[in-house]
Parts: sequence; structure tokens; C-alpha cells
Amino acid sequence: MKTIFIDPFKKYQENTLFIIGTTSLILGSLLAYLLFARFDGVLDLHFVPHITIWQPLLDNIINTSVLTGILFMIAKYINKKTRIIDILNSVLIARIPYYILPLFNINNYIADAGNELANAIIPNSAIKPEDISIAALLIIIFFAILTITVLIGYITLLYNGYKVASHAKGAKPIILFCIAIIAAEIVSKMLITAIPY
Amino acid sequence: MKKMPLQCPSCTHHLEVSELSCTNCDTKIVGRYALPDLAKLHPEDQDFILQFVLNSGSLKKMALQMGISYPTMRNRLDDIIGKLQTITIK
Repeated sequence: MKTIFIDPFKKYQENTLFIIGTTSLILGSLLAYLLFARFDGVLDLHFVPHITIWQPLLDNIINTSVLTGILFMIAKYINKKTRIIDILNSVLIARIPYYILPLFNINNYIADAGNELANAIIPNSAIKPEDISIAALLIIIFFAILTITVLIGYITLLYNGYKVASHAKGAKPIILFCIAIIAAEIVSKMLITAIPY
Repeated sequence: MKKMPLQCPSCTHHLEVSELSCTNCDTKIVGRYALPDLAKLHPEDQDFILQFVLNSGSLKKMALQMGISYPTMRNRLDDIIGKLQTITIK
């Protein structure tokens, strides 16, 4: 059971992982469209007032491609035998927990609570910090904890996939992995902002 | 069948064969014979190599048979290659 959720890359064949990963990407994008969520960076999720069906899908395609490209370069540097399909599958599977997060914005709960909080922080705003409802605060705290948990799950899955794909051992691959995540976040953010869609 | 020890239990140095006997007539040969490199590997690693040869060197076929992924299988082979390289250097 642990293998399925934490380290599916050791057991499952590449075709199975690829099919599950791409299906999740498409369904996750559709869910994000229905619940007004944009994945505007490898580690980002934001709720927006207006959205087109293509935006979350292209966000996910850009994020997956950028992360795969950068992670593959460092994995290839660590082990020349690394295959791109194994890195791609790692990224596709690792992102699955992220696709579930928009579900918590049903009825725009998270976006509304976030806006309430943001408006109260703005200086000279009509809404004062003491006016923030307990419900909004609780929703934000709950979502923050949930997001951190999902982020840990995402990074754990990604690292396990990268470790199996590149046969990484020791401290150096861990440092390179962290650098790759930061680089992918910067590149994906720049691309999503620069490309008009 | 008993598991063959690979290291001296006293000083952990590698072991050699000092006696061989015929299973048919019980003739005994005494001498000092070095173990083949493959025999110095753990039985699980020896079994892996055996399966690898029996599957014509197809890691994909082995991965399907054993129900594990291809990269896991290749990593296991790389580990065995590493062990064999250490053994042959010694």
C-alpha cells in the first residue's frame, strides 16, 4: 500500500504510470477550470475570477515540460543511463496531489476568504483586520496546512521518482534536485507570464 | 542447501576453497582454490544474474516477470556491476 502512494516508481511499469499521469493531468486541468484555479508555476496554485478551459491545461503542460526538462538534465548528469520517460512519469505522478487542491474552492470558499483577508491587510481599506470573520480565517488556515501537506507529498513523490530514474545516491543528487526545483519554478513562472493564452 | 559463507567470521577476510569432494565416490581433493568472482556475490545477486542470462539479457522481460519497474531492475543490475567491479579490483 505504501508503495502505491509514496513510491510507485519502483513497482509500476512506465506505460501504466504514463497513462495514469496524463489522464490525471487532463482531469486535473478540467477540475481547475471548473473551480477557477490556475497552476501558474511549478509550485503555484492561485484562484482567479476569470478563466478559459485552455489556461489550466497549458499551465500544467508548461509546468510538466519545464520540470521534466530541468530534472532530466541533472539526472542525466548524475547517471548517463537515465531515460526521459522515467523522469516524465515522476513529474506526471508527483503532480497528482496538486490537482486535488482546487476541489476545496467549491463555491469559491477559498478565493472569497483569501480576498477578505487581502482587503483587510490593505492600508486605508474600509475593512479592518478586526473585521475578518473567524470562518474566513479558519478556511485560510485549513487550506494553508492542506497546501503544505500536499506540497510535501508532491516533493516526496518527485524525489522518489527522480531517485529511481537516476539511481541517485548521496548528498550531491539531493542538492541538485533542490536547485532543479527552484530553477523550474522560475522558468515556468516566467513562461506562463510571458506567453499570452 | 546450506548458505555458503563468503567472509571469514573471525576477521571478515574473503574465503577460499580448501577441499573439494566427489558426490559419487567421496574422493577428496585438498588444495587452495580461489572462488570464481560470481560465487563471491550474495545468493540473491547470483540469482539475479542467472535470471538475467535466462531472459537473454532483457531487463524489460525480467521487470514484467518480477512485477517491478524497469529502472528498479536496471538499478539492481548497476549495483551488482559495482559489486563485481570491487571484487575484481580486490
